[in-house]
This record gives sequence, C-alpha cells and structure tokens, in this order.
Amino acid sequence: MLRHIAQRLINLIPLLFGVSLLSFVVIQLSPGDFLSEMRLNPVVSAETIEAMRRNFGLDQPVHIQYLKWLRQIFLRGDLGISFAYHVPVTWLIGSRLLNTLILNIAALIIAWAVAIPIGIHAATRQYSWSDNALSMTAYLGISTPTFFSGLLLLLVAFKTRLLPIGGMTSLDYEFFPWYGKILDVARHLVIPATVLAFTASAGLMRQMRGNLLEELRQDYVRTARAKGLAERPVIYKHAVRNAINPLITLFGFEIGGLLSGSAILENVVGWPGLGRLILEALVQKDLYVVMGSLMIGSVTLVLGNLMADILLAVADPRIRYD
Amino acid sequence: MRRTAIAMTVAVILLAGGIVPLGAQQPKLSLPGIPNPGVASYAPEVGKYGGTYVISQISDPRTFNPIVVQDTASGAFTGAYSESLVDQDYLTGEIVPSLAESWTTSQDGRTWTFTLREGIRWSDGKPLTTEDVDFSLKAIFTEGVDNSAVDLLTFQGQPLKWKVLDRRRIQFTTPRNLCPVGLFLRLIGAVDVVPKHKLGDALARGGAEFTKTWGINANPKDIAGTGPFILQSYVPGQRGVLLRNPGYWQVDIKGQRLPYLTRYVILTVPNLEQARLKFLAGETDFYPARPREFAELKAGEKAGNYTVYDGPEGFGSEFLVLNQNPAGVAPPKLTWFQDVRFRRALNHAIDRNTIAQQVYAGRATPAWSPVSIGNKLYFNDKVPQYPYNLDRAQQLLAEAGYRKGADGLLRDPQGNVVEFTLSTNAGNTDREAIGNILRQDFVKLGMRVTFAPESFPSLVGKLTGSYKWEAIIIGLTGGIEPGTGRNVWLSSGDLHMWRPNQTKPETEWEAEIDRLFEQVACEPSSAKRKTLYARFQEIVAQNLPLMYFTNPKTQPAVRNTIGNVKLGLQGVTGTLETRYYKLAYK
Repeated sequence: MLRHIAQRLINLIPLLFGVSLLSFVVIQLSPGDFLSEMRLNPVVSAETIEAMRRNFGLDQPVHIQYLKWLRQIFLRGDLGISFAYHVPVTWLIGSRLLNTLILNIAALIIAWAVAIPIGIHAATRQYSWSDNALSMTAYLGISTPTFFSGLLLLLVAFKTRLLPIGGMTSLDYEFFPWYGKILDVARHLVIPATVLAFTASAGLMRQMRGNLLEELRQDYVRTARAKGLAERPVIYKHAVRNAINPLITLFGFEIGGLLSGSAILENVVGWPGLGRLILEALVQKDLYVVMGSLMIGSVTLVLGNLMADILLAVADPRIRYD
Repeated sequence: MRRTAIAMTVAVILLAGGIVPLGAQQPKLSLPGIPNPGVASYAPEVGKYGGTYVISQISDPRTFNPIVVQDTASGAFTGAYSESLVDQDYLTGEIVPSLAESWTTSQDGRTWTFTLREGIRWSDGKPLTTEDVDFSLKAIFTEGVDNSAVDLLTFQGQPLKWKVLDRRRIQFTTPRNLCPVGLFLRLIGAVDVVPKHKLGDALARGGAEFTKTWGINANPKDIAGTGPFILQSYVPGQRGVLLRNPGYWQVDIKGQRLPYLTRYVILTVPNLEQARLKFLAGETDFYPARPREFAELKAGEKAGNYTVYDGPEGFGSEFLVLNQNPAGVAPPKLTWFQDVRFRRALNHAIDRNTIAQQVYAGRATPAWSPVSIGNKLYFNDKVPQYPYNLDRAQQLLAEAGYRKGADGLLRDPQGNVVEFTLSTNAGNTDREAIGNILRQDFVKLGMRVTFAPESFPSLVGKLTGSYKWEAIIIGLTGGIEPGTGRNVWLSSGDLHMWRPNQTKPETEWEAEIDRLFEQVACEPSSAKRKTLYARFQEIVAQNLPLMYFTNPKTQPAVRNTIGNVKLGLQGVTGTLETRYYKLAYK
C-alpha cells in the first residue's frame, strides 16, 4: 500500500511537468498578452509598454520564461508575480483558497448527507410515488446549470429580503463576536452551498439508487432474506456497504474538484473564491496566476484520485494494490 | 472618479493677506494649524457628521500605490486618500488649487512655481513638504516603476525638470523650444503626491520594489495620504473600508472640517447585475446605471427611496475606423479606404438614431465630433454632420465612380466588388449590436460586408502590431483635454490607428492636426485652446479617419439619504468630502 502511494506521488512529478509545459505554451500561443488593454490607452506610449514588458520578463523567448519560472518554484517555492496585482501569486491564491474550500466542503457535506439517505430510500421503494418524485427532482438538479439556479436564488433573496444578495460577509463583520462571524458566513453560504449541493446530490442520489437496486438483486441478499434476517440489517449491513463502493471513486473526483468545482457559481453570486480570481486572470492573460492555479488544480485532482483509491482499499478488502 | 475640489479663489487671496473684506458676510475660515483651508463652496448644502456611504464596483483594486495606479477600481481607493498639487473642478472641468494653494508662471511660460498650502499633514501626522512632491516625481521617472504619468511628463523624449525652492515652494521648468504650457496644469494634476517618509525606502531598493509597495497585501497602517479618507481595511474579493481623516485640510462654508462621513465602503461585486440588485435592495447607496436600465430604475424610484438622474453624456464614444495603412491592406481596398469620398458615403450610411434607440434605449446623442458633447469646455457643435441617408450615400459613391451592378453588388471604377471584413471585440454587446446595424446598411449600398467579432487581445494585436485588419468598431477612453491624446492624433502616434507611426504626415489634413496639437500644447489660454480644438474637430469631421456613432448618456442613481448631490461633467454626482448622510446613523 505505502509503496503504491509513493509510486503515485512520484508519477505526479512528470505529470505536473507535462501539464505546466503544455499550458505555458498554449497560453503564450494565443494572441495578445497582459498589456493588450494598455496598448489602447491614448496616453500610454509604446516605449512605456515595452518597458513594462521587460519588467514582466515577457520580452524573453518562451522557453527562457518557462525555465525561469521553474527555477523560482524549485529554489523558493515561488509561483511568480501577478502582472495585474504586483503581488506574489502564492499570496493571491492563499487569500482566496480558504473561501473556496469553505464553500465546497459545505456543499460536499450537504450533498452526501442528503443524497445517500435519499438514494437508499428511493431504491428500497422503487417506483413508489416518492421514488418518482425524487427522481424527477434529481433530473431537474442534473440538468440545471449552477449559474442559472444561482441567479434564481439570488432573485428570491432579493424579493424576500431573507438572505443577503451575494458576497461572503456583511459590512460589519469585523465587529461581530466569533459566533456572530460564523453565523454571518453561514447566512451567506446558504445560496451558493444549496446550489452546488443540489446539483451534486442529484447525481449522487441517482448513482446510489442504481447501485443499491443492483445489489438488492444479488444472490447474497436473497440468501440473507431467506435465512430470516430482518430487512434493516439486510439493507444497511450488507447491500448498502457494497453499493457504496463505486461512490467512493466519485468522492475522490469531488475532492479533486474542491478548488475548481464552484468557479462559475462564484462568479454569479460573488463568492470571493479562487474561481473569480482565475477567470479574471485568464481573461487578462495574467500568466503566472493562471499557471499557479492550474498547478494547484492538477495537484488536487491527482491527490483526490489517490485518496479515492486508498479509501476504496480500506472499504473493500478485495482490492489490493501490491 | 477622481476627487475634485474647488476653492474660492477670491476669498483665498483676501484671506491669505489677512484682510477681512468689507461687507463680506463670510467669517474668516481657518483650521488649527491650517490658516488657509480649502473651502467647498460648491456644495449645495451644509451637511451633518456621521454615517456610512457604500458603493460597489465590479473589479478588485490592483494596488494601493497612487503612483502605479492605472485602473479605475484602484483609483476609487487611492482617490479617497491621495491628492495632487492641483485638481479638476468636477462641475466645470477647470483646474483649481488643491495641495498647492497658488502658482505663478514666468513670462515665457516655461517656468512654473507652486506654493503648497500651509499646515497640511499626512494622515500619520507628518507635515507635507515639497520634498514629498519631489519624491513623487522622482518615483515616476524611476526605471521599473510601472506608471503612465511618465508619458505625460516627457516631451519629445525630454523629461520635465524641477527644483525644490523651500519647504513650501517647488519650481518646474519645461524643456526649451517645447511648450506644454497649455496642458501643464492638467499634466501636473495627474501626479499624485505620496509620502517620502513611507515610501522612500522602497524606492531606494529600486523601481520594481516600489511598484510592489503599497500593494493589495499591504498593511493599511503603512498607508498615509492627505485626502479626506484613510484606508482602514481591505479583504480581497469582498470590500475595502475607508475611515474619515480627522485632519483633512478642507472645510465647508461654515468652516466645519470636512469630510462629513465617518466611513466609506467599497464593495467588490462580480458583475453589474449584482451591483444593481444590491443597490435596489438598499445594500449600497450608489449605482451608475446603464442606458437601458434608466426607464426601469426611474419607475422604481419611490419604492426604492432613490433618485436616478438624467445625466449628461460621458466622454467616451464608439467609432468605426477603416485601415488606410499600406503596411496592412493592399489595393483595391487601400484605395477605397484612403478615398475620403468613400468614407463620407459610408458615414451617411451609419444610422445613428437607430443605434441610439436600439443599443442605448434612446439615452445617447448622435456624435459627429471626436470631442464628446458632454465635454462642455471644448465641444464644437458646428462640425459637418452626415445624417443617415442611403440615397445620399449612393449618390456620393456614384460621384466617386462606384457603380451598383445588375446583381446588386457595388463595384469600384476598376470593376472590383466592394467587400471587406468588419470586426470588433467579441463579448462587447454594445459594439456587436452596432456592428450588425452597420452591416445591414452597408449591404443595402451593395457592399459585401462580413461582420466577424474576435477576441480583444487578438484585435489589439492587429491594431497595434500586425496592422492586418480592414474595418474595426472600437472605443477609446477620453480625457477632458483632447491635447493629451497625442498618441492617437499625431501622425507619428502609435495609436494613430488608420495609419500609425508616420515619419512625416501623409496628408495635408494630418499635417494640420499635427500643427494644431503643437499649438495647443503652447497655448496657456483656455479660450484660445478652445478655438484650436474647434478647428481640430472640424478637420476630423471633414476627413473622417474615425467615424463616431453616439455619445451615450450617464444615469447615476443615488439613495435619497445621501446629501450634496449635484451633477457635474460625465454624470459625476458630487465629491466624497461633501457627501453626507441625511439621517442619524444607519
């Protein structure tokens, strides 16, 4: 097991090289650079723009730029400087990272807490009216894009004035006691976390229902029932445990998406997370911010999958990596 | 929005001499340690102290360093705590005293001496001196400091020269034979004065270090200014909070120290949609509405306890430009685009009223001049106009030898079908809508026009780099003084889009614009500059290198609880220091 983990972590290194090299080249190949907007400013001269290009190191050949960037990372763990903000990329990402994690973890917990019981419920009462109603809702959840449901809920918040319209904290946040701060963030979390959880739980619930139905048709379930075991232990001790296995893989994927899964929604509801930062950087071609966030995204994706594999081995004794 | 201020010049002179004018009702206004404070006599009301003013903007600030600021989102912050020697009156556009209480010019107009107002202190208590002004200018000219003021203060490769005379007086000398005197005050108004005792160490470590100092990761306690507010806190992606500067150097007409407000909060929102919702829900006090929203906002005024104002036209405008650069297009297209008769015919086919109606919901005025009608100082209303008339356009084309064939296609005298690609930056819905209106009418003239919006960086790459484009719809930001747009209008300019970087003017009218811009730079009298600018506008309207569409209007919406709202140029609703909260504390 440990060997397997070490192997996977070692595999990460060439992968990250590949991802970084490819994205670096692709970003540079697309037309224009960070200074495009400034070139259309009537009072800024071409010399000044050239000087800025030099300051940013954009006048050098792409491979030199790439190697310099790599060297910084290896020597100092420095992901470079943002062109737009003149601050280190690590600071910029750090200032948003926690916010995105709060949102996604909240959504993850809600989604799993809701989807698993509902999935079990639907499977055990197949084709009942509640199963049908839940399935309908799930289809709705899968097919509604987050930006749409986000906007819809913002409009509801606006009409009812029950919830704040976007953002993460209130104006007087700094003056609240610690429990007030938690409550304040929680109030702001309601809309984005609900939207994310709704979409995620819809898929999960369908998955859980399908898996469980599959398991319930297995011989061992019939055997268990035949020997007179009560229905509850049959379902919860045996069938559910087996049905949940494929979901663990899904869980790994979701861990990988913790940083990027909410990007679009963040831009709709104004959650001050990584998504907004990255989108803006991408549009402006703020090179090192884009690179930094891509790297962090790749790492979390790989680690998430690794975690899923480990969890799977823990949950299912039949799986061995050695 | 830059902070602006007016001082009562007359009162200032009299009070400075310590003479109480006969019959003057006005008591002598002064502040402890500041014998001659600025007086906000333009404010319609005397306000009350206290309260919070909340606005939102759709971008985060990028820096808190006033010298390196280039975007409006950062400007909203630095404008609240940073000031210049002189300021622009937001109502009239005239230059008024600010940190400098007065100035003199030498006979030849090349030497300017400014005197700082006595007793002004930085928000950390240190006195403001000419050393700080000297330091700010040095920072601008230091290699590696990213800023755009350096271009304004460099004249044909020669930088501005200056000398500190004493603690309150500083003297500027402009290079021999070059005379930016006409624009000098505007240029000096673009230089924010920053504290040497706070930023001196950073500059000593080099320009790149200075650019990074006072970044968005700075501790607000390290930031000092002379302006009405002080930065208290900033949370990325959420909000910045500014607090009243208790030692500010301006007073109201009763002699009470400004500003009135206790707190000024700038929220970051992801888009204009949310900015509007937050305003309607009462979370913010100000919303600069888009033209299309005017009618709807107007209807909700009572319920929302706000007023949306029918503001004047802004300074910006979208325009159509045809490529006349031989390095970018070849004949026959080059021949058409260089032919003024062709351009005039096209201009007659631009339906400005439809653009105003469909794109701006009627809240735009047809534009014929490179200077916006909203620029009260320099707008010329007598330039040639080209009302929408397809028959007239057809007739002009026929006079120039263009014939419409039996197949309905327009052909030039050599028999080439007139066809070209029209582009703009994709995602800008206004420009895309304008492009579609234009295309429809050009097609009616028999032209084959492909409308193909592309990404902004690629468009800019073509405009300033490869020159491989045919027709583009775009806009430029405009200042009040057209003379600062030398990059666009001088034939040698990089942004002289239709034919940039000419070694000598290719046409007579471009040569005349070059001469006019040199004259304008040498002309200290605002009235004479106006005549020169009038001629410039006339030439552009006759030769149409750029075909302007409309000047969209502004429609600022302000909560009724906010006092001292008075509309100025570009729909600015007042100054930060005179804003006040009408009710008791929120």
